[in-house]
Formats: sequence, structure tokens, C-alpha cells
Amino acid sequence: MASMEKRLQKELQAMTKDPPPGVQVDQESCSRVMNEWIVDLEGATGTLYEAEKFQLQFKFGSKYPFDSPQVTFLGPNIPIHPHVYSNGHICLSILTEDWSPALSVQSVCLSIVSMLSSCTEKKRPPDNAIYVKTCSKNPKKTRWWYHDDTV
Amino acid sequence: MSAETTSQNNNSPSSEDNNTAEEAAGTYECNICLETANDAVVSMCGHLFCWPCLHQWLETRRSRQTCPVCKAGISKDKVIPIYGRGNPNPQDPREKLPPRPPGQRSEPEGTGAFPNFGFGGDGGFQFSFGIGAFPFGIFASTFNFNDGRPAAPAPGSPQEAEEQFLSKVFLWVGIIFIFWLLIA
Ligand SMILES: [Zn+2]
Ligand SMILES: [Zn+2]
Repeated sequence: MASMEKRLQKELQAMTKDPPPGVQVDQESCSRVMNEWIVDLEGATGTLYEAEKFQLQFKFGSKYPFDSPQVTFLGPNIPIHPHVYSNGHICLSILTEDWSPALSVQSVCLSIVSMLSSCTEKKRPPDNAIYVKTCSKNPKKTRWWYHDDTV
Repeated sequence: MSAETTSQNNNSPSSEDNNTAEEAAGTYECNICLETANDAVVSMCGHLFCWPCLHQWLETRRSRQTCPVCKAGISKDKVIPIYGRGNPNPQDPREKLPPRPPGQRSEPEGTGAFPNFGFGGDGGFQFSFGIGAFPFGIFASTFNFNDGRPAAPAPGSPQEAEEQFLSKVFLWVGIIFIFWLLIA
């Protein structure tokens, strides 16, 4: 537990001091509880999401960084994207099986921004309606449902 | 480094010094805990970790051990401990943690003699040899058929004790081997 908090402190410091473009940690959210962060994202210029504002929620378990954080979009504006469900769940392999402890909040945010940036057509995943009705609250269980081929 | 940071540095020279010092330290940060690496090891791909951090990661993903930074293959035997100056008796950090229990398995030749198990099940000695090692199995049965094998040693003789000991050893090897086959 202590090592997880230590690492989150370090990450928070680094992101506050030198925030990556379009990414900003909501300081107030982390001052309440260290294991839940809110991060504000802004769609990159020249992309379909230019100037749109989004919020990401990070939830860290006690095994972080050996275990990936739970990351979902939050709030009124959930980006319309083929890998983002309308309940905020994101289908991104680094959030489940491709997670590595060398990744960080910053690298996850940058991956999500670049996932948005490479989008060519704003649409929901084809199975959005069923998924949102049947999925677990924890998006980390998504892969079993969505990537059925890995079972 | 963004332009913004550079301009801040120009405003306050002391913070520039801090940054330089931090960057130098950053070179030797563990890629997992982000602290200066402690009991440092470096992977073949050149990535630095504290051994305790890397060990925990390897235990987390036992079936797929990859470098957290570049996803190259990585394992306990393929990392190099780093010893700095000032410690006259450096200890390999990989030996500090409780070593993993070694896997138990018999010699691979045993596979060839496996069918003997069914036939020799009633006789302690042949049974054990039969599954113990392939060449011995042949040897034992050949001698049995030709009756060329010396008569069983007298009870209580040192020879008999030795045979019983061997028999027990091979019996255990056999059991472990069968168990291994079942779980493999
Ligand atoms: Zn470390
Ligand atoms: Zn590497």
C-alpha cells in the first residue's frame, strides 16, 4: 500500500510540474483520496475532438502499479468513438492485458488522447447497446466480453 | 522539455540547478517505482529496475515475463545486478529474496519407460527401475528374462538395504513424475 501511494505521489508531482499537452490532473480530486483521480482531457487540435473537453476517472488498487488502474470517461461528455462505450468504458489493451508497471497515469492519458486523435469517424462501438446493458461496473472485466477470442 | 519550463528556469537560476540534479538522478530511476533504483538490476534490453520491483512484476505475470518498458523477454537469469562503489562485499540482490522452490521433475528419459509402470506394479524393485530411467529398465528386464541377474540378496544384508533404499528413491521419482505428467 505504501509503495503504491509513494508512486502516485511521484506521478502527481511530475504531472503537476510538467503537464503533457491537453492533460490536467484535478488536484482537488486527489487531495481527497489518493487512490481516485480525475483528469481533464482536451481533444487535440486538428482532430475530430478539437476543443472538446472530457473527464477521465482513475481508480487505483493496492497492487498498482503491478495491476492496471480502472480508467473510465466520466461526466456529461463521453467521446463518441469506436472504442468508447456510452457508459464511459474504454476498450484499450494497455488498460488490461497489455498493462505494464512502467506505464503511468500520464502515459495512459497520452494513449487515450492519441486514440481519440487517430479516429476518422465519430461513432459508438457496434455492440454498444448490449454491452452497456450487460457489462460489469468494472471496465477491467470488459476484455472477457469484448475480446472473446482471447479466452 | 517544453519551452515553458525553460523560461521558468531562466527566471530563477536556483531551480535550474535543481532540475539538472533531478535529471541526472532520473537516469538511475527504477522504471517501476520511479525512485532511485535500490538493489539495482539491468535487463538485457538495458532497462533498470530495483530487483524487488522487477521480482514482483515477474511473479505477477509468471506466464508471460516481459520487460515493463520495451516488452522484450526477461527472466531472473537474464538480468545483471549492478554494484556501485563503496560496498566491499556486494551481494547479488537476486539472492536476497526467498529463492523460489526449485521445480521437481525426473529425467526426461523416464518417458520412454513409462509403459513399464503397468506391468511392474507388483514388484518393488523392477517397478522402480522401470519408471526410473529408460536404460535401466531395459537392463533390468533383460537380466530378468535370462535369469542372469544375481539372486536377491539375503534379508538384512547391506546389499538389500541399499536396494530397498534405491527402490524407495525410484518409487518417489516415479510418483513425482506421474504427478508431473498429470498436472502438466
Ligand atoms: Zn523500484
Ligand atoms: Zn526493456
